[in-house]
Amino acid sequence: MYNRIIRNDMLKSKLITLTTVIFVAAAAMLVSLAAILVVNLSGALDNLMTQAKTPHFMQMHSGEIDRERLAAFSKENSNVDDYQVVEFLNIDGTQINLGNNSLAHSVQDNGLSIQNDKFDYLLDLKGDIIKVTDGEIYVPVTYMKDNTTKVGDKALISGKEFTVAGFLRDSTMNSSLSASKRFLVSNHDFAELKDHGSMEYLIEFRLNDYSAIGEFETAYASEGLEANGPTVTYTLFKTMNAISDGMMIAVILLVSVLVVVIALMSIRFTLLAKIEDDYREIGVMKAIGLRLSDIKKIYLAKYAVIAAVGSILGIILSFIFKGILLENIRLFMGESEKSSLGLIFGIFGILLVFLVIILYVNRVLKRFKKISAAEAIRFGISQEKTVYAKRFNLNRNKLFNTNIFLGIKDVLTRKKLYVTSLVVLVISAFIIIVPQNLYNTISSKGFIQYMGIGNYDLRIQTNNADQTEEIVQTIDSDNDVSKYTVMTTKTFKVKTSNGSEENIKVELGDHSLFPIAYSEGRAPARDDEIALSDINASEMSKKVGDIITLVIDGKEKALTVTGLYSDVTNGGKTAKGVFNDNSASIIWTIVCVELSDESLVDSKVLTYSNEFDFAKASDIDEFVSQTLGSTISSVEMASYASIAIALAIMVLVTLLFMKMLVAKDKYSIAVMKSLGFTNSDVTVQYVSRSVFVLLVGIILGTLLANTLGEMLAGVVISSFGASTFSFTINPLSAYLFSPLLMICAVLIATLIGTSGAGKIKISENIKE
Amino acid sequence: MNKIIIGEHIVKSFGEGDEKHKVLDGVSAEINEGEFVAVMGPSGSGKSTLMFALSGMDSVDGGKVVFDGKNLSGLGEKELSDIRRTKMGFVFQQPTMLKNLNILDNIILPSVRDNRKNTTTISAKAKTLMKRVGIADLENRDITQVSGGQLQRAGICRALMNSPKILFGDEPTGALNSKSAHEIMDIFSEINAEGTAIMLVTHDANVAARTERIMFMRDGAILSEMKLSKFDGKDWDSRVEKVTMKMREIGI
Ligand SMILES: Nc1ncnc2c1ncn2[C@@H]1O[C@H](COP(=O)(O)OP(=O)(O)OP(=O)(O)O)[C@@H](O)[C@H]1O
Ligand SMILES: [Mg+2]
Repeated sequence: MYNRIIRNDMLKSKLITLTTVIFVAAAAMLVSLAAILVVNLSGALDNLMTQAKTPHFMQMHSGEIDRERLAAFSKENSNVDDYQVVEFLNIDGTQINLGNNSLAHSVQDNGLSIQNDKFDYLLDLKGDIIKVTDGEIYVPVTYMKDNTTKVGDKALISGKEFTVAGFLRDSTMNSSLSASKRFLVSNHDFAELKDHGSMEYLIEFRLNDYSAIGEFETAYASEGLEANGPTVTYTLFKTMNAISDGMMIAVILLVSVLVVVIALMSIRFTLLAKIEDDYREIGVMKAIGLRLSDIKKIYLAKYAVIAAVGSILGIILSFIFKGILLENIRLFMGESEKSSLGLIFGIFGILLVFLVIILYVNRVLKRFKKISAAEAIRFGISQEKTVYAKRFNLNRNKLFNTNIFLGIKDVLTRKKLYVTSLVVLVISAFIIIVPQNLYNTISSKGFIQYMGIGNYDLRIQTNNADQTEEIVQTIDSDNDVSKYTVMTTKTFKVKTSNGSEENIKVELGDHSLFPIAYSEGRAPARDDEIALSDINASEMSKKVGDIITLVIDGKEKALTVTGLYSDVTNGGKTAKGVFNDNSASIIWTIVCVELSDESLVDSKVLTYSNEFDFAKASDIDEFVSQTLGSTISSVEMASYASIAIALAIMVLVTLLFMKMLVAKDKYSIAVMKSLGFTNSDVTVQYVSRSVFVLLVGIILGTLLANTLGEMLAGVVISSFGASTFSFTINPLSAYLFSPLLMICAVLIATLIGTSGAGKIKISENIKE
Repeated sequence: MNKIIIGEHIVKSFGEGDEKHKVLDGVSAEINEGEFVAVMGPSGSGKSTLMFALSGMDSVDGGKVVFDGKNLSGLGEKELSDIRRTKMGFVFQQPTMLKNLNILDNIILPSVRDNRKNTTTISAKAKTLMKRVGIADLENRDITQVSGGQLQRAGICRALMNSPKILFGDEPTGALNSKSAHEIMDIFSEINAEGTAIMLVTHDANVAARTERIMFMRDGAILSEMKLSKFDGKDWDSRVEKVTMKMREIGI
C-alpha cells in the first residue's frame, strides 16, 4: 500500500535518493570489509602460527653456545614441551645475489637456515612444510612482494649457485619489522657454506602452557643461560605479523565509522528538508485526527528501502574488493580456514549498519510530535527560531554586504538544517588533514627519534667487541665526520619485584649527542640513572622517578629511572645508561656517525662496509625506508586517497544540499527577485551560506584533527612502540593548500548546485 | 502627459506544442506618470500576466514594453532587476515576505542592498512609513506574529521604500476584510496624491472606484476602458455604481 507513495517520492528526488544509497552502500561495504579482514587476518595468522609451530620463546644469541646446559635446562623445566637450537648463518648482503638483484643495500640481516624437524617450520605458499633438495633455495616471501626475484631465478650466495625453487613463509620473521630474514637451503648446502658467514643461534622453546611464559622467562634469565641478542615471545611474533594489515583494518574501521556518520547526516538533512516541505500536510493530517504513526510509517518505509538497497550494494561491493585487500594476508599468511565465518561477520556488520540507520530515522521522526497543527495550517512553516539569529538584524548591519548578511543569517536561522552539512564538512576536513599530517610526521626526519634511534646519518654495528677500536680510529680520523659516538650494549641482571632476576640489555654511552624523543622524563645524565623503553617499563611496572636494582659484577646497584622512550629495535626491550662497566661482556657495539655533508652517506656506507667486513654499516634513512618504507608509502597513498574521497564527498554533499535548498527556497528566491535582487545577488547569498558553513567546518575539522586526530594517529603509531606522539605539521599544506582546495571544491559545487536559481520565474512562484 | 509605461501589442503564451495557448493576445496598454489605474476582469483573463509583462518581471513573446523611455525587451536580467528595485514597487495579495527576517528587516531589504552604509537613515525612513500605515510598533516582530492586514501594510511600506515611479498591486486587498481593505485603499490614494503612479489588479468595485481609469480584460485582451475623475472623496456611491454597472454590462 505504501509502495506507490514511496516510489513516487523517490522518483521525484532521484539525485538525493541515489546519493543516500551510495553513502549507505559505502558505509556498509567498509564495515563489511573491516569485519571480513579482521576474521581472515586472525584466522590466517592462527593458521600460519599453528602450522609452522611458532616457538613460544626465542632467544637470539651470537657467540659461544653451551648446548648441553640448554638441554639440561629444558629437561628440568617442567613447562618446556620442546626445545631446539636453530642455526642461522648470517651472510653479508653483498654476497647475496638473487637473479639480477643484489641485497647489498638491504638493512635486514639475511642468512641461511635449514628446515627444522621439531617446530618453527618454514612453510611454502601452500602452507606445507618445505622439503628442500641440494642446489635449491627458498626465499622469504617479502622478496617476492618487492619483486626482487622470482621462481626459477639463479641465486648466487657467497659464490655458490642455487636455483630459486620457491618462496617461504616464516612465522617468526615475515614482518618487515623483524630485523632478520631466513633463506632455506638443504643441510648439505648449509654445511658447505658454513664458513662464509657468521653463525648466530636461535634458541627456541615450545611450552606446555603459554600462560606461564613470564615464569619461564624469569627461569631462563636466572639460570644465566645464553642471552647475547634479542628475546622474542609468541605474543610479539603475533603482533609483528599482524601489524601492517592490522593498521589497514584500523584505517578502514575509522573511515567506515566516518562514512556511517556521513550517511546518517545525509539522511538527516534530506529527512528534515522533507518534513519542512510537508509541514503543512503533516499539520493538516494531525488536525483531522490522523495517527502520526501512520505518517511515520511512510517515511520509515522509504528509508528502510534505501537502507536495504544500499546494504545489498555494500555486500556486493565488499565481495568485489575483499580480494585486493586480502592479497597481502594471503601472501604472507595464507588462507584462513574461517573465511566463511568472515562472510557471516561481514553480513552481520551490514545488518548493524542497516539497524543503525532505521533507528536513527525513527529518532529524527520523533520531531513529528513537536509539529503544532494550528501553526502548521496557519503559516505552513516551522516556527523553530533561535535567539541569536533574532539579534542578528539587517537594520543594525553595516558591516556585511546585504547578500552576505542574508546568507549568514539564513545559516544562523536554520541551524538544524545546516548542522548536517557542517558535520559532513568537519568530517571531510578531518579526513583530509589527519592522514596528511600523519604522513608528514612519519616521513619527517625527526620521526626516527620516536622509535628509539637518534638523528644521525649512519651507523656501524658490530658484535665483535675487540675490533671496535679499529672502527673508532678510522672514524675519528675521517674528515667528513662531523661528530660520532660509541654505544655499547651489555646484558645485566635486574631484580624484579618478587625478588627474582631477569636479563636487561642496557645501551651504555653518551646519549646526549644524538638525542631520542622521550615519552616521559629525560635521558640519563649521571651514573646512577637509567632510562627504560616503554615495553620494559610496563613489564617491570616502573615509572619515572622509580628505583630499579641492577646486579653489576655481583654487586647490587640502585638506579633512578629518569625517562621512558619508545623503541622498535631489538624487540623493544632496552634501557639506556651512562655508567661505566668493565665486568659484563659487550653484546654489540654501535658507532653512530653524523657526516658534515649528508650527500656522502651512500659512499661512506659503502667504504665502511668494505673496510670493516666484520661489521654492518647502514644508512639510517635507508634503515627507515626499509623498515617503515612500505608503511610510509601506504600512508602517503592513503593520504592522497583520503583527499580525493573527502573532496568527492564535499562536492557531492554540497551539490545535493544546494540543489535541495534552491528547490525549497523557490518562493523566497522569487520574492527576492520581485524586489529587484539579481540572479548574481542570489548566487552570492548561497555562496556565502556554503562558505560560512565551510569556514566553520574547516576550523572545527582542523581543531579536531589536531586533537582527536593526533590521538588516533598516536594509537596507530604506538603499534610501532612509539607512545608519545605529536604531529609534525606542514603549515603550508595543512593551513593553506588544504583549506583552499576545500573552498574551491565547495565553491564550484555551490555554483553548480545553485545554477537552478537563475531559472526560477517570479510569476510562477508568486501566483495571484 | 508623459507615459511611464507603454505596452504595445503584447503577446504572451504558455505551454508547448499542443498545449500552447495565448494568454495575452496583442494587448496594448499605457499608464501615465502619476496615474491611478485599475485592471478588472474574470479569473484567468490574464490580468496578472499583463502586470508581470508590463513590469518586466516576465518576458513577452511579442510586442514591446517601454518603461520610463526604455525598451524592456532590450535589457538584461541585471538592468531589469535594477529598474524593479529602484523605480517600481509591488504589493501582492499574499504578502511576500522572507520568513527569517523580521518586519523591519523585510521592509528595508531592497533599500539596503545598494546602500548599507546608510542603514540608519533607511531604517528611520522605514519607521516613518510604518507609522504612517499604522504599524509603528511591529518592527521587531516576526512575520508570523502579525495579522494579515498588518503584513499587507508592511508590504506597502517595503514597496514605497525606494520612492518608486509606479506601484503595482495584484489584488492587494483581496485577502482582507472590508475595513482593512478600506484603510489600505486610503493609503494608496494618499500615495497616488503624492505623485506615484499605481496600477491595481482587482475584482472589487469598491477598489476600482478609487482609481481614475479602469481597463476591463477578457480572454487575454482589453475589452474596454472606463475613465473616472480623480477621486477627491466626493460622489463615492455614484462612482461605485458606475463601476458595478459596467462590470455587469460586460459580464464580470
Ligand atoms: N505559468 C503558467 N503556465 C501555464 N499557464 C499559465 C501560467 N500562468 C498563467 N497561466 C494561464 O494564463 C491564464 C491567465 O492567467 P493570469 O494569472 O494572468 O489570470 P488572472 O487574470 O490574473 O486570474 P485571477 O483573477 O484568477 O488572478 C490562465 O488561464 C492561466 O491558467
Ligand atoms: Mg491574478
